[in-house]
This record gives sequence, structure tokens and C-alpha cells, in this order.
Amino acid sequence: MVFFSYLFSGISLGSVYAIIALGYTMVYGIAKMLNFAHGDIIMVGGYICYCSMSYLGLPVLLSVLLSMAVCTVLGVVIEGLAYKPLRQASSLAVLITAIGVSYFLQNAAQLIWGVTPKIFTSVASFPMPGDLNSLGLSSEAVVTIASCLIIMVALTLFVNKTKMGKAMRACSEDKGAAQLMGINVNKTISLTFAIGSALAAVAGVLLCSNYNTLIPTTGSMPGIKAFTAAVFGGIGSIPGAFLGGLLLGIIESMAKAYISTQLANAIVFAVLIVVLLVKPTGLLGKAVPEKV
Amino acid sequence: MLKVNDLNVYYGAIHAIKGVSFQVNEGEIVTLIGANGAGKSTTLNTVSGLLRSRSGSILFQDEDLSHLPAYKIVSKGLALVPEGRRVFLQMTVEENLEMGAFTQSGSLDPALEQVYAQFPRLKERRRQVAGTLSGGEQQMLAMGRALMSSPKLLMLDEPSMGLAPILVEQIFEIIQNLHRAGTTILLVEQNAQAALSVADRGYVLETGKVVSSGTGAELMASPEIKKAYLGG
Ligand SMILES: Nc1ncnc2c1ncn2[C@@H]1O[C@H](COP(=O)(O)OP(=O)(O)O)[C@@H](O)[C@H]1O
Ligand SMILES: [Mg+2]
Repeated sequence: MVFFSYLFSGISLGSVYAIIALGYTMVYGIAKMLNFAHGDIIMVGGYICYCSMSYLGLPVLLSVLLSMAVCTVLGVVIEGLAYKPLRQASSLAVLITAIGVSYFLQNAAQLIWGVTPKIFTSVASFPMPGDLNSLGLSSEAVVTIASCLIIMVALTLFVNKTKMGKAMRACSEDKGAAQLMGINVNKTISLTFAIGSALAAVAGVLLCSNYNTLIPTTGSMPGIKAFTAAVFGGIGSIPGAFLGGLLLGIIESMAKAYISTQLANAIVFAVLIVVLLVKPTGLLGKAVPEKV
Repeated sequence: MLKVNDLNVYYGAIHAIKGVSFQVNEGEIVTLIGANGAGKSTTLNTVSGLLRSRSGSILFQDEDLSHLPAYKIVSKGLALVPEGRRVFLQMTVEENLEMGAFTQSGSLDPALEQVYAQFPRLKERRRQVAGTLSGGEQQMLAMGRALMSSPKLLMLDEPSMGLAPILVEQIFEIIQNLHRAGTTILLVEQNAQAALSVADRGYVLETGKVVSSGTGAELMASPEIKKAYLGG
């Protein structure tokens, strides 16, 4: 029975990773950059939701939507101010800028909200039927897993069925050819950051609901893990981010339960290294020549 | 229809296009020929907005395009089939065609039917990912994709490159069909023989400059051109 409890918490954690990894992978697919500040958007999402509920007294759903809206704007502004001017620059310059943005967000959060942890009231707390409860399945886990599935299905439909989604795929393959079709590449990149950041807000709210505390560095480790998950699944691939996130969450949870809490992270990264040695493009990645 | 005047294009410090002027009148097939590296692709890419000129003007139906971004140029009625085809390899044939009609509103079906009528192979393979097509099929897809925006002027950059002779013939036949159907065409080719035989007029480009021009027949008859580009 304890096994199921670890499994559920692994799937739930993995779902959060997957939601974050989707943002990483979409941005990478189109802008060909690793947005290391993505993890910190999660943290901002958490704080906005926290403030909205605790200070403004807004209802849960409204708070989540507000948090998504703020993060969407933040993501688009960051892209426009920090990354867009570097479109022709080397990928190293872009990477360093992204790390700078990450520190900037953490320090700004520290300035605004301080370093003392905020106690985050779960937005997904409701009574569960007794037998599920005894299996160790929390209401937060149910909401997290369900959110991840919904997001995954919605994104897949968006990217495969809508005109803008197809334009995104076109941009990720060949920006020059996409422009020849009449696609505004800059606008498409902004849209990608908008979607990724809105997802990061959702991930932030879910993460805080599962762990109940919030500090300015809350997003760092999940951000790095989700990045790992995206690489694990095959960076640039949407199903890959989903699969990578889930597997990473489960491996981490099982490693914590049956091997060692201290070593769990090391084990996660060891698995990543092994996978990349065997299949350098990740589980579902395509062997496409990269310019990075 | 298209009037390029004293165009200068640089790659950093490299002066690739040095004061090129040419024009394409409505209903014509005009060809730019020249050796590898002469500046043919640079010229087409600049007209379509992918590259910026340092000076000179690009007038299309009396409107200067030289400061418009590439994505705004398609809707003016200009489409480029780029060198090397550049179809979206991971997207299906039909998705590629849909992207070609990105700026169009309303139903795509009439345009799709037209393209499929011109290229029946594409219809057979509409659900197939473009990466699995042969080179000739990819060229047809690239052309079909450009036609989806119903361009007034179609620019083709070496459509015959890397294709077997029978396919080259087919591609040139299609170009003539499109021309008969009313599309004005600017054709860039290394295959000077084939290009000049379908063209109304031609320009010869050498290291970034127009060195001669005339009707297709005139150029084919010129001894220098024969020597340099027609193998004797
Ligand atoms: N991206 C580039 N960077 C620097 N130089 C380039 C680039 N592309 C083309 N050139 C140079 O510009 C000149 C014209 O090239 P191009 O227009 O491709 O010729 P063509 O299409 O006639 O073969 C060549 O000398 C080529 O080396
Ligand atoms: Mg060329």
C-alpha cells in the first residue's frame, strides 16, 4: 500500500515537472534557446496566487487565472526586453542572459516578498473518498494529474489542429521559410513565451499546493528538474516533455522512498546521463541537425 | 510589375550585389542566369524580404518593398520558392500547403484543389510527412506551397537543382503551364539552356552585377553566353 502512495506522489510530482517541461520544450523548439528563467516564472506564479488569495481575498479560480495572466505578461515582456535583442547573438550570450533574468526575478521576489517562507494554502484541497485516501492519493495529486492531462491534450490539439499552432511548428523548423509563408516569426515566439509562462503559473500554483511553502527560490530546483525532464524526453518534443516529466517524477519519488532521500537527485541525474548516452536525442527526440 | 533599381546588398563587409537593376513586366517569364556565387539567390532573397538591401529600390506594382519585413511581402502578391526547397519536413504535405496559404482568409479548398490538379502526386501524398517525399516531390510541394497564396509574381530559385533530367523537364513544363494560366514568373537558374528557352527575357549575373540582358533568343544566340553558360 505504501508503494502506491509513493507512486501517486511520483506521478503528481512528475505532472508538475511535465507542465514546466512543456514550457521549456516549446520555447526551445521555436526560439532555440534554454530559458533558464522559466523556473522562476513558476515562483512568481505562486506568489501572485498567494497574494491574490491572502491579501485580495479573491476566490481560488480567479486567483489562479490572475496568476496565469500576470505570468503571461511577464514572460512576453522578458522575451521582448531580454531575448529579442539577442536574436542574432551567439547561443552562449542568450544563455547567460537567461541566467541573469533568473537571478533578477529571484532577487526582485526577495525584495517584494522577503525571504521568510509564505504558507501557501492549497487551492486543491477537498475530501477524498476513504479508500482512495488510504491508498495515499491526495486531492492535490488528483488535481495536479488531471491538470497535466488536460494541458497535454489541449496543447497537442493546439499545435496540430490550429493555424497558429501549425505556424509554430513551421517556425521551429525553418524561420526563413516560415516568413516566406507570411508568418510573423517574432509574434509567434512571443506567443510561445506567453503559453509557456501561463503553464508555468499553473505549475507554480500546483507545486505550492502540494508543498505549502513558498520562497523566492521555490522555482529553481523544479525548473532544473523540468529542464532535465525535457531533455530526457527529447527537447523540442511535446509528448517527450510529458513522458520525461512523468518518468522523472516517478524515479525521484521511488528513489527517495527505497534508496535514499539524500541521493534522490543524484539518481535522477544519473538516469538522465545514462539515457542520453544510449539515445543522445532523448526518449522521443528526433535526430534533427541542431544549430546550437 | 517588379522594378529593381540599383540594388546593393552586403553580407557584413562582403558586397554581394553591386548595383543590380532589372524588371519583370506583367505576364512575362524573366530569368536570371549566372554561375554559382553570382548573386542570384541573394537577389531573390532580398526581393522577398529575407535579406535587407543597403541601397536601391524594389518596386512591386509601384510600391517600394525594400523596407517591408518578409512576412508582409507575401500578401502583396509575391511568393518565393526558395533554393533547396525548404519545405517543412516534419509537417504533412497538406499542412505545408496550408502554411502556404497562411495569409489567406476563407476556405482553402479551392486553392488546394487547384494545386492538387497541377500536382496530382501531392494529392496522393497529402497525409504523408514532407520529409518522406523524394526530391522531385519536395520541389513540387515547394511550388504548390508558394501557389497557395495565389501570387501575382512567382519567384523560383533553381527549381531544377539536383533533379533527374526527366523531372527537370516536368518542372519546366509546370512553369510554362503556370505562365499560361496568367502567373508572372521570375526564374533563377544555373541551367541556362532550359531557362532561356522558356523565358521571354533574361539577365546574366556575374559576381553581383548584371553583365548582359536581352530576350531569351538573343541571349542564347550570343557567342559569349554560349561559351560561358551553354557549354560551347
Ligand atoms: N550567408 C552568407 N554569408 C556570407 N556570404 C554569402 C552568404 N550567402 C551568400 N554569400 C556570398 O554572396 C555571393 C552570392 O551568393 P548567392 O546569392 O548565393 O549566389 P548564387 O545564388 O548566384 O549561387 C557569393 O559570393 C556567396 O559566397
Ligand atoms: Mg543560389
